[in-house]
Amino acid sequence: MKILFSLLLLFRLLFAGDATIEVIKQVEALPSIAVEDASISYNNTFKLQFFKALVADLNVISLFNVDRYHRSIHYNATDVMVENKNMNYVLRYKMYEDDSGALNVDMKIIQEDTSVFLKSYKVSRQNIYMFVSHAMAYDVNKFMGEPSVEWMKRKVIFSRIVGPKKSEIVISDYSLSYQHVIVKGGFNLFPKWANKAQNAFYYTSLDGLIPTLKHVDIKTLKISSVISSDGMMICSDVSRDAKTLLLTMAKNGQPDIYTYNVASKKYKRETTYGGIDVNAQFMDKNRIIFISSRLGYPNVFSKRLDTKEVEQMVYYGKSNSACSSNGEYIVYKARETSNAFERNTFNLHLISMETDFIRRLTATGVNEFPRFSADGDAILFIKNYKNQSSIGIIRLNHNKNYLFPLKYGKVQSMDW
Amino acid sequence: MKNIIISSVVVALLVFSGCSSKDVAVDTDKSEPTNTSEVQEVKAVETETVAAEDSTVNSGTQTLSHMSMSDIESELSTVYFDFDKFNITSNAQVKITKAAELGKTGAASYNVKLEGNCDEWGSDEYNFALGLKRANAVKKALVAEGIEGSRISMVSYGESNPVCEDKTKDCYAKNRRVDFKLLP
Repeated sequence: MKILFSLLLLFRLLFAGDATIEVIKQVEALPSIAVEDASISYNNTFKLQFFKALVADLNVISLFNVDRYHRSIHYNATDVMVENKNMNYVLRYKMYEDDSGALNVDMKIIQEDTSVFLKSYKVSRQNIYMFVSHAMAYDVNKFMGEPSVEWMKRKVIFSRIVGPKKSEIVISDYSLSYQHVIVKGGFNLFPKWANKAQNAFYYTSLDGLIPTLKHVDIKTLKISSVISSDGMMICSDVSRDAKTLLLTMAKNGQPDIYTYNVASKKYKRETTYGGIDVNAQFMDKNRIIFISSRLGYPNVFSKRLDTKEVEQMVYYGKSNSACSSNGEYIVYKARETSNAFERNTFNLHLISMETDFIRRLTATGVNEFPRFSADGDAILFIKNYKNQSSIGIIRLNHNKNYLFPLKYGKVQSMDW
Repeated sequence: MKNIIISSVVVALLVFSGCSSKDVAVDTDKSEPTNTSEVQEVKAVETETVAAEDSTVNSGTQTLSHMSMSDIESELSTVYFDFDKFNITSNAQVKITKAAELGKTGAASYNVKLEGNCDEWGSDEYNFALGLKRANAVKKALVAEGIEGSRISMVSYGESNPVCEDKTKDCYAKNRRVDFKLLP
């Protein structure tokens, strides 16, 4: 028994922090939290709307068993509500509208009848309340001493197919509750943030004679054409310093990966294989990961930009057609059924380049377009299942997936 | 808690300016709010950034209709492909040979755009590349039949331009195709 225990302990020590190992947390082990609403402005519909958004965000940070009952109380009441007496934490908030019409929110976290955390928020308009909710959850996560969930406050940009050759480009929050259509009309795909600040983006326009990469400055709404290519033109990735783009272009009908210098407007062909090379992402400044058909089926490879050295990265599966990497981890999309006549299943898998361990991250439907958050804490992906298109979030270290369904259309691609 | 520090972070946006180009236009609709979204944080050291965009870019195409051209275009049969393949089948070759004949006679004054398409299994770049490889296979076959390569352009629409949206094998097969579009 002692040997078994020692082995288990050794195993746990060896693989502590390995995201390819599934973390099974007992639901009972999580602390409980209740949310108390002390709002003095706004109608009940909006109060409930905000409450639900906050409860959803608190669930996504995966630290609590969140009580779903909406209960009202006075903000300065000394005791928590009777029903919440046994909760480990109580989050109490008060929404109020000021003279300028701005939405103000005061929040406090109560633990054992003592306020242990206080913060206030303000947004100019009521309809962007979800950003306050995300900011509150972000701060609760920080207060609990957990690794940052910075991605929660980032904006997602995605293209939505609304009909054959018709699409919209939409900017949203991570949960899709806020949605703003920024490019409408025409056939525009593959939006990609142009920089870390998310104040500009690239997209592929398929309206003209030749596929063209466009750049939009969100503040000035200035659109400029960047580069065109016959056949295919996609911005697959933008370097961290925003100075270099990884493009898939198809000069002479041959899809290959190119680097593009934003300042000099010069491009360089990085792959020369006669089949398909696409979907390049920076692993670091001098190394990319990409999808290639050089084995006769799509699979994940890496290449150094300063040499011609190409390395196969994934040795499992016979059709791995999309990928994203962060540090030692690669997430890739694998076709799990290969049938021309029936529904197919595509799942996301996480592999560690150090241990070679693989973890399957999804179970049903078509799961694709995986994108790591900058800090590697979460993976955003597109899920299409039973005619429903959603954006999903996988919390790697918490072994939890969350889906945010789209009201209409189908998500084609996205970035965050 | 009387010393309340208000740190504010402004995000957002947006000035509406009109701009017009051949295929894109900025929405100048004044009904869109032009206000700036502002998030202020009280009692916080760091600044919050919560933002929203309030303006929209319009993008559309001008469509030209040439009846005579579309009449010829209707004579050009769509070429279909097998699942996950971009090789030309014997059935497809017959259609391409016929298209090449037309390209040398009735359609001799037009250029052609080959539009590669895929079934619904995936919106990733690989699927787009597969659509392009299909278009390129048709282009090579047309060139082999004597059509000048300079008259042919290509585009891939991946799975985004289906002609059939049912979840059936017949429907998937109809979407794995290359369409011919004549250009003046």
